[in-house]
Amino acid sequence: MHDLTISYGGEPVLEGASLAVGDGSFVSLVGPSGSGKSSLLRAVIGLQRPLSGTVETGLAPSQIGILFQDDALLPWKTARENVALGLTFNGMVRGKALAEADAWLARLDLAGLGDRFPRRLSGGQRKRVALAQVLAMRPKLMLMDEPFASLDAIVRARVVKDLVALVEREKISVLLVTHDLEEALSLSDDVYLLSQGPRARITEHYDVPLPRPRDPVLSRTHPAFAPLYERLWADLSREVDQRAEAA
Amino acid sequence: MMRLDPRYTWMRQVAALAALLAVWEAADRANLLNPIYAPSPSRVGAALVDLFADGRIWPHLEATFGAALGGLALGILVGVVLGVVAALVPFIAELLEPVMTVLNAIPRVILAPLFVIWLGIGLASKVALSFILVAVLIFFTVFTGIRQVDRRLVERVVTLGGNRRALVRHVYLPSVASWVLGNLKIAVGFAFTGACVGEFVAATEGLGYLLSFAQSTYNAALMFALILLILVVVLLIFGLAGRLEKHLLRWN
Repeated sequence: MHDLTISYGGEPVLEGASLAVGDGSFVSLVGPSGSGKSSLLRAVIGLQRPLSGTVETGLAPSQIGILFQDDALLPWKTARENVALGLTFNGMVRGKALAEADAWLARLDLAGLGDRFPRRLSGGQRKRVALAQVLAMRPKLMLMDEPFASLDAIVRARVVKDLVALVEREKISVLLVTHDLEEALSLSDDVYLLSQGPRARITEHYDVPLPRPRDPVLSRTHPAFAPLYERLWADLSREVDQRAEAA
Repeated sequence: MMRLDPRYTWMRQVAALAALLAVWEAADRANLLNPIYAPSPSRVGAALVDLFADGRIWPHLEATFGAALGGLALGILVGVVLGVVAALVPFIAELLEPVMTVLNAIPRVILAPLFVIWLGIGLASKVALSFILVAVLIFFTVFTGIRQVDRRLVERVVTLGGNRRALVRHVYLPSVASWVLGNLKIAVGFAFTGACVGEFVAATEGLGYLLSFAQSTYNAALMFALILLILVVVLLIFGLAGRLEKHLLRWN
């Protein structure tokens, strides 16, 4: 994306954002609340029109998947039908789409739960169904808007670990927005820091030199992790303090 | 305070009702009640048996059921169509919403005499009254429901590649179905109210007509029997509607 400016309620919330997500790389965008992180993802997938700037993905819409904070599964469809939904929208016959959905559910440790409605699944299981729904489309780029924020720590660690293994294996590019600095560093190859909104800007870029394949929990014990975390935390704190003083 | 076992609530309720009926019956036999105003349960029971014994109740039941179910079906159909169209086309909403708001605000049974003038004392005027009661209810259910459809579900379908048709099929229609089914019991009650009130105003058959006949002949036993019969019929249909709702909304 190049020089992207996005408004929320008529006011620019994010200004002049430029960043690139390379093939198969995992990029995170961190920043305080109100810095336009979610709006940026919505602009990339076309749910929101930017005030100015461009987004170029070179991908068909079906090759871009998005995971929202809420799993947003259709409550009247079973887990299997929810996963098959995107496949049928893109022309796959229903029977084949349902079989494909079953395979993805099994891959995400949900074998045997295909007939359950979302209401009868736990938070972690619903999140896995939402993940299967997006991965089944074989996306080249995945956008994630704090998709695991609502999960408890243990479930979250397990889901994230599975996700990382899958995106590494399938070589999917990821753009994640999050408040969680540790999560951003443990998962990403690149992290961008946004200043406090309104009129937030990308102020820093961090190259994360942790090796792959990566375990999102154990990578936090890598010697490069702590210094990078300290730097990111100091920069973020300074941004928030400066904005508070200006106000 | 004495603790009551919730498992036996229904037994206590049945026992209380039986005790009330027994006291009522005893008071009648002791000539403490005037049967013209408050006939005993046994007199009401006899009137009920009478209605079925000679078979004269069946055409009346058929007439009331026909009017109520006809009005219910038409009311749901028209209410859903108008609700969907108004929710999706602002111009239609501008025209329909004030009319429906007025119809919703007034006790719609006051239209019964008008329908008799327009449509005669036959089935049509009863169907019309049931229809207007149900259609307004369903219109608002669907109209407000579609406007409040979960935006996250719409965005989910759009980002998965769903077009407008997919949105209607996978988001709007199931949402509408769940709201309509959620109000089905109320709609059934409205439909029978319309049919009975319509028959009460002017008719030659139906449970409402029989009620009117019982009133004009001061036959309180027949009136109680008819009220009991209507109650049972509506409760049976409530039960069926509840089962249908439970089956179709099993995801909920």
